Formats: sequence, structure tokens, C-alpha cells
Amino acid sequence: MNKAIVAKNIFKSYSKGMVALNDISLEVHQGQVLVVMGPSGSGKSTLIRTFNGLEKLDGGTLDVLGIKLDSGYDQRKIQNIRKRVGMVFQQFNLFPHLSILENITLAPIHVQKRSPKEAEDYGMYLLNQMGIESQVRKFPSQLSGGEQQRVAIARALALKPELLLFDEPTSALDPERINEVLDEMRRLADQGMTMVIVTHEIGFAKEVGDQVLFIDQGKVIELTSAKKFFSNAKKERSRKFLNQLIN
Amino acid sequence: MNISTYKSILRNWKKMKNIIFYNLFNIFMSLIIILLILSFFFFTLKWIIFDSSWKVITSNLPLFAYGSFPASERWRPTIWIIYLLLLSVITLIGPEWKFLKKNLFIGWLTTLPLGFYLLYGGFGLSPVMSRNWGGLTLTIFLTLSSAFLALPLGIFLALCRQSSFLLIKKISSMYIDFMRAIPLIAVLFFGQLLIPLFLPTGLEIDRVWRAILAFTLFVSAYVAEDIRGGLQSIPKTQIESANSLGLNKYQIKRLILIPQSIRIALPALTNQSIGLFQNTSLMAILGLVELLGVGRSVLANPEFIGQYIEVYVWLASVYWIFCTTFAIIGRHLEYKMIIHK
Repeated sequence: MNKAIVAKNIFKSYSKGMVALNDISLEVHQGQVLVVMGPSGSGKSTLIRTFNGLEKLDGGTLDVLGIKLDSGYDQRKIQNIRKRVGMVFQQFNLFPHLSILENITLAPIHVQKRSPKEAEDYGMYLLNQMGIESQVRKFPSQLSGGEQQRVAIARALALKPELLLFDEPTSALDPERINEVLDEMRRLADQGMTMVIVTHEIGFAKEVGDQVLFIDQGKVIELTSAKKFFSNAKKERSRKFLNQLIN
Repeated sequence: MNISTYKSILRNWKKMKNIIFYNLFNIFMSLIIILLILSFFFFTLKWIIFDSSWKVITSNLPLFAYGSFPASERWRPTIWIIYLLLLSVITLIGPEWKFLKKNLFIGWLTTLPLGFYLLYGGFGLSPVMSRNWGGLTLTIFLTLSSAFLALPLGIFLALCRQSSFLLIKKISSMYIDFMRAIPLIAVLFFGQLLIPLFLPTGLEIDRVWRAILAFTLFVSAYVAEDIRGGLQSIPKTQIESANSLGLNKYQIKRLILIPQSIRIALPALTNQSIGLFQNTSLMAILGLVELLGVGRSVLANPEFIGQYIEVYVWLASVYWIFCTTFAIIGRHLEYKMIIHK
């Protein structure tokens, strides 16, 4: 099976000497879902952001879709990765001055140089699938959080990515809105999309996750199959964390 | 007007009545103030209707509008101004017709070359030298040209000021600080008197364009600061999400940062354009016969000697009408953009 992400001993530290990522190695196969869990400040966001070059590595090597990154910052390579990797953020980060459809077609038109017509058709197709096609002419501020996050997913999908990164996609949502976003992600997992998901939703992680990576203070505590992790986690630290989440 | 507005007026009136006629002292003071206000309006109206003589304005209307533009060619500035008014009205009403919506921006962009062509002539129109331009036409031309040139220059300066390249950053912030440290009139003097000295003989810039150049250089520094404020208030996450979509740095500036910063800076930019419109009157001292300049030259005419008040009241109302229009258009644009925030 092809590997979508191969990380070898990656390090990342911030200027104050705080180590965010400490010797992390992992592999994600194509079509697999990796769930990243950990307490806040553990470095899980930093980790997922290194996968599309939003954070620079300080050591180790990273291979994303066959493009190799190391501590040198190669803008060209990162740009090539970003064209093939979609990302969804906690706070949606839609562009407030553009309509929903314009948000979705922006990158296909300007990055992939597709015709506006083609980009709009595909954007409409995506919005249709998510059941929010009636909102195309509206602006992000007129939508609910759940709708905005679904638009953000559609925006990431519009580039037809080979890998999707989710950075706590439901943490900023009202509890009753969480499921509409998780449903979309389930659908993507069923279609065989390769995904890396930072989340605290245990039920969801159990259901769609192939592997679970549990990190704390920038270190890998446990990296196993989802089944094993949720039924009997090996490490005391992971069990404690899971217990806290459930209660 | 619906019932709720009536109710709120009534409520406000009751509230006011309680304050105005609270006790004997308040009643006394209120009456005096009301009397003063009424007498002010009474005497002003009396002066406007009976005491003043408006012949100085009515017989010079073409002069106020066009300066000494040749009478047979006055239709040219007229067309231009009507075109501008039409655009303003369309912008105000907010077109629902898709064709207009799409081309409104282009419409505004064409105002400058169109005005340039209609005023200067050439290409089938008889040429008119800029020394014959004047009045309201010149005032509007100065404002519009300077504003249209200062906006892109200001955006450019603001972006330079945020550049990661230290030299560019320093040069642009030095320019901005320098321009903000000197009075406008000094910049205008520089434009009118010193630029010709610096230029090689034979090369000459028209004095209207020298004025526009000076205004542009001055105003762009202020525009740059307004835009910078806008740029700084855009959250970093916007750049991150644009980055993760694969947009490059120029696309991020063009598609994400500049449009958003203009929206945020809009109230300040409206202010700048009103200020610019009023400041064009400084050119009257420097020999351009714009609106205020026409007023001065009319007053120099022996026939109308001493009619200062009429002329200045008239000029004040014209400036007031235009500035209010600017303010209304600005507020309207802001209102339309609220939903996009």
C-alpha cells in the first residue's frame, strides 16, 4: 500500500525553548484515517500543521505524498504539497468578504487555473452533497457554525485533495451542531479519503479511525490501531486521558 | 413613517419636556435658548430672502460651474458631471440588475479617462488648455483624480510598510512619516513652484497635474495608514487558511488582504475623500481657479464688490452638498458591507 505520510523523528521547538514536537515518527497509508489525540498543549495541532508546511520542522524528515521535507524551508515543495492536501480548521477560517461559492471556487480558479464555470459547477456539486446548496449566495457570517464548517470542508475538497487534515473541526461548534460535520467526515472516510484528524470525539474516532496517535508534551505516548487504543490502551497516561474525556 | 416611529418621537418628546420644563430655572433658560435659536433662523431667513442680493450668484452660475471653459464647449464638462451623478445615484440605490452590478466598478474607473478626454479635448474635440478649466468642474476633477491615484499608491505603501524586506519597510515608513509631518499647503507649494525648477527645460507638467501629483503624494500617506490599520486587524488565521489552499503570497495580498482591509478602512477612507474635496480649495491661493477661486475672482469684479457674504454662503452650501453626498455614499457602502463581515 502506498504511504501518504511518513514522518521520521521530527522535532519542532518554539523560540522560547519550548519543545512542541519531540522525536515523532509515524506512517499513514493511503485510504487510512489517523486520529491524533492528546491534552491541550500536547503539540497535536503543531504536528498536523507540519504536514502542509504551516509549521516548519526543526529536525527529522517528513514525506507527504512523495514530497520530502526537512528542516530546510523549500517554498516550492510546500506549495506543491498544499495543492494536493486540504485542511480544515477549528475556527472555519472562511473568507468573510467572499460569498460561499466564491470561497469554494477561489483556490480552484487561482491555484489550479480552472475555468470559473468548471470550478462553480464542481463547487455546486460539493455543496449539493452537503445539503447546503441553498446558501451559495450568502456570506459566511450569515451561516451557522456547523454550516460554515461544512463549507470549509467543501472548500478543502474543491481542490480534489489526496489527503485531508482536520484540526479539531468540531471544537468550536455547539453540541447539537457537531454531528452534521462529523457525518460529512464519516462520508469522506467511507469514500476512502486519507485523513488525519485531531479530535476529542471518542465515539467518532472509534468509528472511523484506523490508527490512533496519542501524544503528550510533544512525545508519542502510544501509536496503535484504534480498536486496541479504545478497548485496552497500554499506557497509564492514555487510559487516564480517555477516562477524563468519557467523564 | 409607521406607528413605532411615531411612538418613539412621542416618547422622546415627553422625555425632553421633562428636562426642559423641570423647574422654574430650567423653564427660564430653555425659553431664552429657544428664543435665541428662533431669532437666528428668523434673521438668517430674512437676510437670505430680503436683504441679500443673489444676482452675484445667478449671473455667474456658468462661471461657478465651468470657470472660463469656452461657452461653446461647456456641454463636455456637463456630460462628465451628469455621468458622475448618475454613477453616484446608481451606487446609492444599489443596483439589483446583474449587468450594472458587475460593471459599476469599471464605470467608476472610466470616470477619470473620460473626464480627461472631455476636458482636454483632442481626438475630434477641440483642445481646451487647462488654464481655462475652472469652477466646480476643476474641483471635482482634482478630487477624483487625486483620490483614484492616492488609493492604489496608499495600498502599495501600506503593503511595503509591512514588508519583510527591511529596506523597503524603512523607506515606506519614512515616506509616510515625512508626508504626515508637513502641512498640505507646503506640499502644494512644492508642486506648483519647485517641480518646474527641477524639471529639465522643455519638459513641462501641466499645473493641474502638478496639483494632482502633490495631492496624491500627500493623501496617499494618510490612506496608507488607514489601510495599514485594516491590514493589522485581519486575523492571522485568514492568511493561514489561504496558505493551506495553496495561494501564493501575491494572490493572498490581492484576493484576501487588500479587499478585507479596504472594507475595514472604509469609514476612514470616506473621511479622507471628504477632506480631500475641501482641501482642493487651497489651490485657489496657488492660482487655480477652482470653485473657491471663481468666488474670489467674482468678488474682484467691480460690479459685485463687497458681496462677500452672499458668495461665501453660496460656496459653503455647494461644498456642504457635495461632502454630505460623499458621506451618504460612504455610509451606504459600509451598510452594504456589514453583512459581509
